[in-house]
Amino acid sequence: MFRNNYDNDSVTFSPQGRIFQVEYAAEAVKQGSVVVGIASKTHVVLVAIKRNAEELSSYQKKLFPIDEHVGIAIAGLTSDARVLSNFMKQQCLGHRLTYGRSMPVRTLVDMIGSKAQINTQHYGKRPYGVGLLVAGVDDHGPHLFEFQPSGMTEEMVAFAIGARSQMARTYLEKHLDKFAECDREELIRHGLRALKESLVQDRELTVDNTSVGIAGAADKAGKVEPFKVYDGQEVAAWIESVADDKEAAPAGGSGEGETMEVDP
Amino acid sequence: MTSIGTGYDLANSIFSPDGRNFQVEYAVKAVENGGTSIGIRCKEGVVLAVEKIITSKLLKPNANKRIATVDRHLGIVYSGMIPDGRHFVDRARDEARAWRDTFKSPIGTADLASRMGGYMQAYTLYQSVRPFGITAIVGGYDPSVDLPVDGEVGRGPSCGAGGKIPGKNFGGPGLYMIEPSGLYWGYYGAATGKGRQAAKAELEKLDLAGPGGESLTLEQAVKEAARIIYVAHDDNKDKDFELEMTWISGPEGPTKGLHQEVPRALREEAERLAKKALESDDEEEEGKDDKMEE
Repeated sequence: MFRNNYDNDSVTFSPQGRIFQVEYAAEAVKQGSVVVGIASKTHVVLVAIKRNAEELSSYQKKLFPIDEHVGIAIAGLTSDARVLSNFMKQQCLGHRLTYGRSMPVRTLVDMIGSKAQINTQHYGKRPYGVGLLVAGVDDHGPHLFEFQPSGMTEEMVAFAIGARSQMARTYLEKHLDKFAECDREELIRHGLRALKESLVQDRELTVDNTSVGIAGAADKAGKVEPFKVYDGQEVAAWIESVADDKEAAPAGGSGEGETMEVDP
Repeated sequence: MTSIGTGYDLANSIFSPDGRNFQVEYAVKAVENGGTSIGIRCKEGVVLAVEKIITSKLLKPNANKRIATVDRHLGIVYSGMIPDGRHFVDRARDEARAWRDTFKSPIGTADLASRMGGYMQAYTLYQSVRPFGITAIVGGYDPSVDLPVDGEVGRGPSCGAGGKIPGKNFGGPGLYMIEPSGLYWGYYGAATGKGRQAAKAELEKLDLAGPGGESLTLEQAVKEAARIIYVAHDDNKDKDFELEMTWISGPEGPTKGLHQEVPRALREEAERLAKKALESDDEEEEGKDDKMEE
């Protein structure tokens, strides 16, 4: 039987110059549930579908705050994500201590990129089995980055990773031009609609399985909206606002503003 | 491929009976799939350019840079596996900084190429690592006079052993290309990546080693670099791309000895001319076809 000998470790190139172990790690990202991120000129949002192992179990977290100004969304091996998340938290904290200000998002993303690359070049290591969307704000405004197990990191306007994320990406590409000018609420709604695109037939967004994370760049008064994750009843109004029958409803309904002000 | 099935291509650092390291050759394959990178060396300085294939519409335009500044006067561009390139650049920055710490002067382009060539080569020696899946082009402009460095204490002899040879010119532009094997050469014009063949053909036409190199100004080199990237992209027409260009001039030139991104206005002008040159080429070819049909 034909056997592919070039896929046993991440230090072997195939004759075509590919590294299969890294490509397989990228497949692990597609096993995770979908996460979507979008950046506008003022805000960056992450939205995610959470999975539960069974009806009575809790849901696996998908969004993690890293620092005041940065948060991540994960798809793939959660335990690998936790390693990266801890690393990012430490780096951000160290940067604050040394420089007295928050770390630029690109610097942070480059750090995990370098860290992941090493795992693809040394025997005995394996690539991380997780993909990340890194959302953050710094002096240059809001940023959204994608991180892959290969160590590849790229800044995106909007992106989706995870199971069936192609449907979400198609939605994002279709509405790409609008995102820059979107306000906070519009951006969240776009995120949730993209998320809905990649849902399987009889599933829908609920307060239990949906997470929303937001960060806002400094406004005219110089006030930054720190990265915060919203779960449960906090997201009810947003989910309601993108319900199928409201598809054509004008932006900015009156009811949804209220719930958002409520602190958990 | 004759290598497959022999077993000699399954691990790095293993020689085949005819003296080849297949894993290094496969790493070269990874380079050949990457976007085209080029470097042009002319009298006034060096231009680096890269074709960045747009893999997704969702990428933020002009946000993802591929040409890295390693020291004030040094730039590196690479084709192949981008995360490998990032690691390579990190190491180059470490080398440049260590050189400054030790010798109280900036590292020369040739010295950096040598250090990085050695680093690349080390990754062909062991089964515990794989070679780099990149080919890197290193460009720089070395100063012809010693520049004071922060923390400098005294200076070395100005001539004789360990010093400078009187009357000899030092510094100037440098361009080197380093392959996954660690092999590197100095170049007048270097090209790597998918479109390297077309790019090399165009570079040769510039006659950089002959009188062409003497007369080419840095600004012309920028325009040629843009055109060459556009020509090299031609075979890959269905995919969109972004052009990124940097340059390094001498202290009297536009960048004052620094490695910098080519100003937007000049880059856009160069791209406009490149598109125009391509169009007129196409028209000529079409004209030929028409005649043949007749």
